[in-house]
Amino acid sequence: MGTEALQRLVEIANDPYGRLADLRKRKKVIGSTLADVPEELIYAAGLHPFLILGTNEPISHSAALLPDNSCSLARSNLELVVGYEGDFFDGFVFSQVCDTTQHLSDIWKRRFPDRYFENFLAPRQVDRPSARDWYAQECRRLRKELEKYAGREISDEDLWQSFRLYNENRSLLRTLYNIKQEVPALMTNRTFFDVVKATFFMDREEHNRLLQEVVDWAQGEKGRYEDQDGYFKLIVGGIVVEPPNIYDLIDEARGNIVGDNLCTASRYIYHDVDVDGDPAEALADRHLRKPHFSPINEDVKRIYTDLLDLYREKGAETIFYVHIKYCESQDYDLPDIKKRMREEGIPLLELETEYQTTHIAHAQMKTRLQAFCESVLGRT
Amino acid sequence: MSEKVQEKKSAKELNKILTGEYLQDARTAHEHGKYIAYTTAVSPVELFVAHDIIPIYPENHAVACLTKRMGAKLSQVMENRGYTSHLCAYARSDLGYRVTGESPMGGIPDPDFNLACNAQCFTLTKWFEVLSRAYNVPIFVFDTPQWIRDPEARKEIVKYCVQQLKELVAALEELTGKKYDYDRLREVIKYSRDASLLYRKFLDMAAYKPSPISIFDALIHMAITVYLRGTPQCVDYYQTLCDEVQAKADQGIGVVENEQFRLYWENLPIWFKFRDHFNLLKSYGANILSSLYIHAWSYEFDCDKDPLETLAENYVSVFSNVTLEERAEMALDLFQRYSMNGSLMFVNRSCKAVSFAVYTLKDVITEKTGYPALIFESDMGDPRFYSETQIKTRIEAYLETLQGRAAQVA
Ligand code: SF4
Ligand code: SF4
Repeated sequence: MGTEALQRLVEIANDPYGRLADLRKRKKVIGSTLADVPEELIYAAGLHPFLILGTNEPISHSAALLPDNSCSLARSNLELVVGYEGDFFDGFVFSQVCDTTQHLSDIWKRRFPDRYFENFLAPRQVDRPSARDWYAQECRRLRKELEKYAGREISDEDLWQSFRLYNENRSLLRTLYNIKQEVPALMTNRTFFDVVKATFFMDREEHNRLLQEVVDWAQGEKGRYEDQDGYFKLIVGGIVVEPPNIYDLIDEARGNIVGDNLCTASRYIYHDVDVDGDPAEALADRHLRKPHFSPINEDVKRIYTDLLDLYREKGAETIFYVHIKYCESQDYDLPDIKKRMREEGIPLLELETEYQTTHIAHAQMKTRLQAFCESVLGRT
Repeated sequence: MSEKVQEKKSAKELNKILTGEYLQDARTAHEHGKYIAYTTAVSPVELFVAHDIIPIYPENHAVACLTKRMGAKLSQVMENRGYTSHLCAYARSDLGYRVTGESPMGGIPDPDFNLACNAQCFTLTKWFEVLSRAYNVPIFVFDTPQWIRDPEARKEIVKYCVQQLKELVAALEELTGKKYDYDRLREVIKYSRDASLLYRKFLDMAAYKPSPISIFDALIHMAITVYLRGTPQCVDYYQTLCDEVQAKADQGIGVVENEQFRLYWENLPIWFKFRDHFNLLKSYGANILSSLYIHAWSYEFDCDKDPLETLAENYVSVFSNVTLEERAEMALDLFQRYSMNGSLMFVNRSCKAVSFAVYTLKDVITEKTGYPALIFESDMGDPRFYSETQIKTRIEAYLETLQGRAAQVA
């Protein structure tokens, strides 16, 4: 598979938290929770930002702290921090998007009273002008709080530099995503999304360097794999795809993911921050351009229109919707999404999942996916 | 008896009359050129009242369904349509009602507009989004960021909320085609302020020993301030209620004879078990006096401030939107003021917004008060998640522990 750079990125994606402990020897490590914390600010303060993405290991430490009808993303994030005794972070910036995350931040804070801790109160509506003003205001507040913590001023120049670095990262990831879509045989879905995942944990400069190598390699190689035969195009809807072996199942079925609205993919890599004007407003503008995210209110039809647009624009054959069990937000959206897709005659497969998926559940999902590909997509 | 005295209605009678009139108004709203807005129980409803828009609370209607034990049946209808059984029981029964039309009170009118304030919970936003799609009506999410303790941040939060309330006013003007009347809003807020103060006075009567009220009284009487605040009738109602309860307190009449245990309740009630719980507790000389939930409507509007600002400040700072630390302080304040000596902490499957903090809250409360607390999981409206024997045994065991402790002290 590909270059050394690619291998390294994939390795990191599959053991991210161990790496953070190493990084911590050099820099203070500040995590954030999904979604929408402007990591650019954390980076500009000379700190190392990362995105906490839960664990697929069994839940034991956090079982008594959150009821079992909370989503496994929240439970497994809590498991990680409590289980690792906080070894891999110095602090956290919490984004509150739903009831679960709001409480999680309080429980977490009580558990680690000595660590740096900040809420990022992103607007939970992006429907009206007040959302832009508020996002920008929260960026200003976070900037000040980070300055206090880091003991240094964050200049506008620091911010522009950080924006440029992150823009470059997003741009490289988009390029790679396009190549993967064009030439699915070159790179599996799993590999591509692992590369994206690695960026959530790594030093951005290092990621950019490795990523550039991967993109150069992919550009050079793609001519050898022009043939798209045997693949079907699909859109993936949802928040996160976990455990990542769901991508493996899609790869086995020869599905080519050509679009998504995931927090851990398009919502993260699409759209850049403008590198002029007021930095907080520039971040707010990027925020408002992102794809729809279930817990954030806006035009109520976007729960399906985003997916429909992607489906048509990309000429996909089907939509897979990854549903995290006990995610209330998705629970409320799904029946209407399914209904609309039925009306449109678009085949949709719901994949209900948990971070702690058992082998049996995985095998069942595999069977369902295969059956769907055979009977609905007519693939053998 | 003079004629005047005969005319004076009791709070209970008034409750019935006011509810009847309110529903009648709502059902004939369109005939009178008025609009119907669905809203969440904690929301700046004063903006509607001052603009001839009748607020309807799907949550209240859901409570009626759950109390009449229709929860499981209505939920199953929705489960068959792809909704899961772990959503809030209010939402499940409301959506079930939309499909079946089944209601213990003849239903509620359909909305022209939906307002969801997320200070209470985030669930309501998603539930109302479903309704907005179904009825093809606008939804306005009044987004209230968590009321974190940093004073500078609070100022900015209020600004954001005020800005949104201006956006809401513009949306209401668009809906009705009428210019907004701020003088009328001021007047409405004054009524809300007075009613809220009286409502709080009523709740605070739990401080008397023995207490002339229980949480079950509060749960019945809170309905009026939820849906009629901002009106003079609501003020009169709570005045009448306070007078009645005060008279009981003056005579030393408590709801529980030989009151021994004065308990705090965490969370919403288990609606369909409400009476059974009251009777069980009573047999042990125990009474549940209060909870943060019923205090969610004791607002303190400041009529000298800009009306939108005082609305924003009150609605953003409700107990379900403060930090866990502050919420624990609020609960401890009730504990102290009402001299409580135990707590029943209910983890309500339906309500993540209130429940997810309860485990941690229990630790804080037991640590700070020195009294043991009982924690148990169930659902406020769905009997399928309520285990009768298990919960009854646990409550009894808990009360016996309290008795044991009391005997030791004595
Ligand atoms: S939005 Fe859904 S998946 Fe994300 S934390 Fe909330 S409940 Fe969990
Ligand atoms: S019970 Fe809880 S989840 Fe349900 S509507 Fe009320 S606050 Fe929201």
